[in-house]
Amino acid sequence: MFGSHKVKIEGELLDKVKQCAEACGYSSVDEFVVHALEKEVNKVLPPSEGGSTSKEIIKKRLQGLGYIE
Amino acid sequence: MMQMLAAGGMSLLTDRERQPDIDNPRGYCEWEPIKLLPKEPDRIDEAEGKAVKIISQLLLSVPKGRNYKLIFMERPLPEVLASQDEMLKRRGSSQPVDSALLTSAFRDHMRDIIAWLEVREDIPVCRMGYRKVLSDPVSSAKTVRDFLDFDLNLEAMAQQVDPSLYRNRRA
Repeated sequence: MFGSHKVKIEGELLDKVKQCAEACGYSSVDEFVVHALEKEVNKVLPPSEGGSTSKEIIKKRLQGLGYIE
Repeated sequence: MMQMLAAGGMSLLTDRERQPDIDNPRGYCEWEPIKLLPKEPDRIDEAEGKAVKIISQLLLSVPKGRNYKLIFMERPLPEVLASQDEMLKRRGSSQPVDSALLTSAFRDHMRDIIAWLEVREDIPVCRMGYRKVLSDPVSSAKTVRDFLDFDLNLEAMAQQVDPSLYRNRRA
């Protein structure tokens, strides 16, 4: 089960998060926060076993777009 | 960004082989041999003194021992994927991949690229938000000029930014 969890961000931190999300081109605060958390989690935990699958998906996608051979 | 650099006075390495189309009506500014980089990394030498467009995946094949400056364009992932979907449909190579799996794969990919860039300290990076460029082209042009330390025409660069080409936007 994955489930979900809400975190409340407010005050100065929320303002800064909004600024960062906007400056970096994220579509929402949520997207920015999830990405930031993913980066931190990956520093602590070993890479997931889905790594090779992800690489294969990216490769096929980019080949389909004509970006790589 | 490539149009901005060209208008600003920078030479581009591009073969114009890929013709303008509905996805990119002002042309692609691409250089086909960049695809050969994994097998022939020295081809990058042909870009000396010029700007060349390179997708993130091919960055991993950029050899050491040269002086690079990288302008890393960032756009919200949902917009990137939507734009790619449109292109794939028009190319007739639509690939049925679970949306969550695809999103996860691209997040993994971006994480790998950012981690790789942190290791490659020989490559200075200027991260540019796609939306930031659209909303403030003059400031963005100045950021690029200062990063490249190259006498670029800011006004001409800013004039290249065309918000009408901002499609596949997400809230």
